[in-house]
Amino acid sequence: MSQTPVSTDVVETAQLDPTKMDFSAEGSAAPPTSLTKIAVRKFVSNPFAIFGAIILAIFVVMCAFAPLFTHFKPAAIDMMNASVPPGTDGHLLGTDEIGRDVFARLLYGGRVSLIVGFCVAFCAVVLGTLIGAVAGYFGGWVDMVLMRLVDVMNSIPALFLNILVLSLFGSGFWLMITILSLTSWMGVARLVRGTFLQLREMQYVQAARAIGVSNWSIITKHLIRNATAPIIVNATLQIGNAILTESALSYLGLGVQPPQTSWGLMLNNAQEFMLTNPMEAVYPGLCILLVVLSINFIGDSLRDAIDPRTKVKISRRRLKKWRNRFSKSGI
Amino acid sequence: MAEPILEIRNLKTGFVTESGIVKALDGVSITIEKGQVVCLVGESGSGKSVTSLNVMRLSDYDGGIVLEGEILFHGEDLVKKSQEDMRKIRGSKIAMIFQEPMNALNPVFTVGDQIAETLRLHKGMSKEEAQRKAVEMLRKVGIPEPEIRAKQYPHEMSGGMCQRVVIAMALVCRPELVIADEPTTALDVTVQAQILDLLRELQSELHTSILLITHDMGVAAEMADRIAVMYAGTIVEEGTVEEIFSQPHHPYTIGLLNSIPGFEGQRGTELYTIKGSIPSLANLPTGCRFHPRCPFATDKCRAEEPSLLEIGSGRRAACWYAEEVALKAKEQGAVIVSGKGE
Amino acid sequence: MTEYLIRRAVQSVLVLFLVSVISFALMHAAPGGPLMVMLPKGGSQQAILAQEKNAGLLDPMPIQYLHWLGQLLHGNLGYTYKNHVPVGQILWPTVGNTLILMGVAWVLSLLIAIPWGIYNSTRTYGISDNISTVLAYLGFAMPAFWFGILLQEFLSLDLNWFPLSDMYSMNKQGNIGDLIWHLILPVCVLVLVFLASYLKYSRASMLEVLHMDYVRTARAKGAPEKHVIYRHALRNALIPIITVLGLDLPNLVSGAALTENVFNWPGMGRLFVEMAFAREYAVLMAITMLGAVFVVIGNLLADILYAIVDPRVQLGKKGGTAA
Repeated sequence: MSQTPVSTDVVETAQLDPTKMDFSAEGSAAPPTSLTKIAVRKFVSNPFAIFGAIILAIFVVMCAFAPLFTHFKPAAIDMMNASVPPGTDGHLLGTDEIGRDVFARLLYGGRVSLIVGFCVAFCAVVLGTLIGAVAGYFGGWVDMVLMRLVDVMNSIPALFLNILVLSLFGSGFWLMITILSLTSWMGVARLVRGTFLQLREMQYVQAARAIGVSNWSIITKHLIRNATAPIIVNATLQIGNAILTESALSYLGLGVQPPQTSWGLMLNNAQEFMLTNPMEAVYPGLCILLVVLSINFIGDSLRDAIDPRTKVKISRRRLKKWRNRFSKSGI
Repeated sequence: MAEPILEIRNLKTGFVTESGIVKALDGVSITIEKGQVVCLVGESGSGKSVTSLNVMRLSDYDGGIVLEGEILFHGEDLVKKSQEDMRKIRGSKIAMIFQEPMNALNPVFTVGDQIAETLRLHKGMSKEEAQRKAVEMLRKVGIPEPEIRAKQYPHEMSGGMCQRVVIAMALVCRPELVIADEPTTALDVTVQAQILDLLRELQSELHTSILLITHDMGVAAEMADRIAVMYAGTIVEEGTVEEIFSQPHHPYTIGLLNSIPGFEGQRGTELYTIKGSIPSLANLPTGCRFHPRCPFATDKCRAEEPSLLEIGSGRRAACWYAEEVALKAKEQGAVIVSGKGE
Repeated sequence: MTEYLIRRAVQSVLVLFLVSVISFALMHAAPGGPLMVMLPKGGSQQAILAQEKNAGLLDPMPIQYLHWLGQLLHGNLGYTYKNHVPVGQILWPTVGNTLILMGVAWVLSLLIAIPWGIYNSTRTYGISDNISTVLAYLGFAMPAFWFGILLQEFLSLDLNWFPLSDMYSMNKQGNIGDLIWHLILPVCVLVLVFLASYLKYSRASMLEVLHMDYVRTARAKGAPEKHVIYRHALRNALIPIITVLGLDLPNLVSGAALTENVFNWPGMGRLFVEMAFAREYAVLMAITMLGAVFVVIGNLLADILYAIVDPRVQLGKKGGTAA
């Protein structure tokens, strides 16, 4: 969509926006606050962001230091204590049908899910940024070729490609990270390319070129910095996506292989024993849901924080209330 | 004195936001008589556009509420009307011309359809009849080959052309009052003149009243019968074009006049420039709302707010030192006669 | 507009060509190579001939590729390794089943999402809007298959309201009522998945449009609110929604494939996973290609729809962005 040019009217209504007025008021008294600081303040004051950050932190800490929270081994089979209910003999969430401690499996499985999530997001963002940067900066046929590659990758349903590669080359942890990264860089690439296409015609980039700054340092110094904010938002959301895809693949039995475990693999197991041990299916799914939800909260809050347009969130009911109290106008 | 068609009395409005009500207008009073062109002049942020949206009651859709005051249209208070009643007035009796013609037109409908729509809504015309009338109207606003143009989409036209379409759309039902919100701001200078000419032509032909909103004193000089100067949500001075240009009584008006580029050469000594920026209504200064930017400000200005007082017949200013300011302005020879050319 | 569509069609063919190259390359990298994929093991005359032709895989890659492509274009998808069955024979029946599941869920979620999104955009942060926001967050964050498992556990096993899995009950093959009965749970899962993004996008694009100047113009004309929303705003809001529908197709297919596995639905997705374990590469290739064809055709349809809704496309202004 084309950007509407700033009109006087927009400025006028913008002045009515309370948050913006705060800024201008501060601007006149104190030195102007930097955009980053404003974004940070906005982010921190968002309850969803805080909620997401806390939940995610709890999960990361518990999974990273799993041995501190449980003395059970995730793969230790104990047929004597199979399918015991929560609380028995220190089994916080009970055991599964072959006596493995569910809580321990959740913590160690979470390790795999989280590592896959973060690694894939990181690789996908690096790869996407690189490809998008090259396409956007050089334009022309380079752009043309790379964008067709994006089209191609986007037209193969990712799950199929993932399963295909995993079945061709055998399942494995690192192969999974690789193939997940290779199938999720396209969004970032498009984003970076778009930003670059806009920016490369800008005067300061032209000027840098004119004084002989190398392509590489123009890309890294001038352009990527400008695209950082949206890339970070995208990276955050990628973590959630990767965790979901990993869980799906492991659920299908093509991802993580026993004795290693992950939340998805636990669900695969749980479906078989739905009748005898229904709660076993609930825990891992809940973990995935909570982690991905908190990551999405963080991502969305980041996006809102970076977006300079402050949205006025006000419900119709509240509007009505105010209107009834103060307004003299008819409805 | 002719019959007033629109009379805004002490209008105070605001917007509902997360943190409560933010004031937008702080006591606006304007009167427009039949066939008159009244210009509302001021910097951006002074509340001109909000005033126009309030008259149309379109601000309701952006969370706007009226806190106090009346908007009398033929003696009927528009503030008290329901949106359904307002709907019947909008477009047929009061029409609006917006500032960005390219954005004001819906990109997915042909311009002919968009003009015809107004007719069909208010006059209940058949599709064919409305289309024919739309083409006629396009011809009237000076669009060549109107039959072909009517079937085109807004993106196939230039900015000036689009503004002609918007004007056609506004005038097609022959409204009694047209509110034009910065109708030329987004256009090239040459096109601006054409559009203003067209507006004046149509105004004299159809005898509509116009409330013209602009930040450009030059435009006001060219178009207006009366000028109301607006600052931070209120009117600070009002008078005929000649009065405003020859004897401004408010320091802010003088500042605005000085900002007209054409006047610069003849100005001689520099009186002053308006320093600083317009305050928001949430944190207005004490006393006169203009005093932090005013070169004449005294302790009295800082302490008490002057009200808009009659200083002649139909001539009002909100300044404690209106007379002194007017004299001083004359002495300095800063202000030249009306742009309308006597 | 025609020019724009022709350009898009050419692009689509190019994309499909590249997908086939990638498929071929992957297949070639697989242990055993394409020979195993393409030929029945047994001794039909034709097979032996072909085997000789490809003996030792000494032909240069491009020639091999062209040969494979030729077979593909003639509808020969290859043979399964195990029983030497033509791939088409086991593939085609599953395609219909997948389309039933996916189609019902897709149409249903559009029918819910677009009107609801529009409604929410006119009453932001109200009860209905908040419910839909919660739903959208859940849909985005919840593993679809987990939701499926939960439904099975509580609605099928515990309450026995719905069948646990499969497409038909025993002895009821082809019974429409029974089919609908079996459809409910998997469709619920898919609808939640699709709904999440559709709700979000329809609300967002409608909100964006409702703040446009031309909407204010329409109100200033005295158009009734219904007219403003359904005539002036909706048509513009549809433009980005159509784009998203096109872009979302691969996720649609992936989501359907997963759900099929949870509910043992005899579709392409289940077949794919089954064949992945059996290492039946020919079937995997065929389904991957088919998936790509589906996505590309879907995108092309979206482009056509786009061109119909947005008159600006005629000038090719929007043609720059690839689907």
